[in-house]
Amino acid sequence: MKKVLFALLLVASASIFVVQAKAQVIVIANPSVKTSEVSKNDLKDVFTGVSTALPGGGSVVPILMKAGTVHEEFLQAYIGKNDTAYRAGWRSLVFSGQASMPKSVDGDAAVVEFVAHNSGAIGYVGKGTPHEGVKVLAVK
Amino acid sequence: MNRLLVSALALAFGAVSASAQSLDDLNIQIHGYATQGFLYTTQNNILTTSSSSGSPAWTEAVLNVGAEPIPKLRVGVQGRYFLLGNYGNTITLDWAAGDYKVNDKFGVRFGKVKTPSGLFNDIQDIDPSYIWSLLPQSIYPISSRNSILAHYGGVVYGTLKLGQTMGKLEYRGFGGERSIGTDDGYFLAQREAGIVLPNGLNRAIYGAALHWKTPLRGLMVGASTIQNNATAPEATKGTLVGVYSVHSFNQPNYFVQYERGKFMVAGEYGKTAPMVFTIFPGIPPIWRPLDNREWYGMATYKLTGKLTAGLYDSQYFSKAVKLGPARYQKDWALAGRYDFNQYLYAKAEQHWVDGTSIGYDVDLNPNGLKPTTKLTILKIGVSF
Repeated sequence: MKKVLFALLLVASASIFVVQAKAQVIVIANPSVKTSEVSKNDLKDVFTGVSTALPGGGSVVPILMKAGTVHEEFLQAYIGKNDTAYRAGWRSLVFSGQASMPKSVDGDAAVVEFVAHNSGAIGYVGKGTPHEGVKVLAVK
Repeated sequence: MNRLLVSALALAFGAVSASAQSLDDLNIQIHGYATQGFLYTTQNNILTTSSSSGSPAWTEAVLNVGAEPIPKLRVGVQGRYFLLGNYGNTITLDWAAGDYKVNDKFGVRFGKVKTPSGLFNDIQDIDPSYIWSLLPQSIYPISSRNSILAHYGGVVYGTLKLGQTMGKLEYRGFGGERSIGTDDGYFLAQREAGIVLPNGLNRAIYGAALHWKTPLRGLMVGASTIQNNATAPEATKGTLVGVYSVHSFNQPNYFVQYERGKFMVAGEYGKTAPMVFTIFPGIPPIWRPLDNREWYGMATYKLTGKLTAGLYDSQYFSKAVKLGPARYQKDWALAGRYDFNQYLYAKAEQHWVDGTSIGYDVDLNPNGLKPTTKLTILKIGVSF
């Protein structure tokens, strides 16, 4: 019985961790992006190649992290897929000539650097990451 | 010649646009994938392989190069090595195109472009994209895949938002010339009857596709149609020289897909009924009866982050063929895919095939065809 309780406690702790982890990702954009908020659906459309613009925000260019916890959390929270399934979707577009794969960089600092210096860029970083030169978009 | 010109112009347009920029600015990307398959059948030899003895004769390798020379313009080219039994064993051009996307509502693609018909036509050759080793053969026959994937010409496309309550409408309109090579699986029956089309079959096509992403999250309903213009290329039978006459015909497809979380279900229905005559001087015209109905239903479920399972039922009926196993194919397939990481994956698929109307040739089945076959497929793939 104690073992069962311990296991349940572990699962519950993990669930809390996941819920908290989702809140640890923020969406950032170049200051040229005209909006300060984005819907979850519009964000998904941009990061899955369906759309190249945000309502009221103009053209945007998504940038990805190559891997890592923040990357996985972003995909789970806003795209609803893991990295393998997500990249398989992009490969469908690339190999059928419908899109180019978004640029991927290593780590939060590289995302901030890219977003800050490229008009229309939109990305995601860990909440505690310094993000001078970019704006944070509220996800509704 | 016109086809080469269209592709060359598409690439030249991109090259000229690119000439004043550095390679880094061009955002050049190189991608590719390769797969190796193994087929085993309990009875007949299938897809021109010696599958009843176990056959590894299924290899594909694709290389894709793309660039964005100026904002909104992409150019790209993709080549493929394809071997499946006696099909292929050559390197072909998948597509070579320029793509100018004005905004989400309107874009245009031109050159040799994927034909965006049906639910999967424009991705049916992209093995890393889906769980299946063989897509439902009733609508996506792999033996003539290379000919129906793409056309020389253009596609206009876009997405229209229909308001908060009506979802989105994705549209595609396309037109140009489709070319079916003389060695294509499409002509297998004719070749085995001694009829050869030395220059293949080229014809004008045009069509449209609509994908309505309904307000019900994850539900898409769509339809497409291709109008195939009449053509009559040269045909030979021994020393005889005649024509292979195909009247104009329409190919409609209707499809639906629902995705929610780890679950996906889809279905598609199509109809093909061209009038085909082979006409040689001095003998009565040879009529090839074609009046086909084809459909499938499929479902997939992501069991874990790396393992996906799926099931489909694919059915094909050729109404112009007399009653018997050659009139139909009913294919139940059970599939699994395991992604080791984002680059490497493996697939396993079991088919229960009833009927002989798709995928068989006479030469590799000299003792005739059994009405049912079990087909096992193993496949490994790598993509980058």
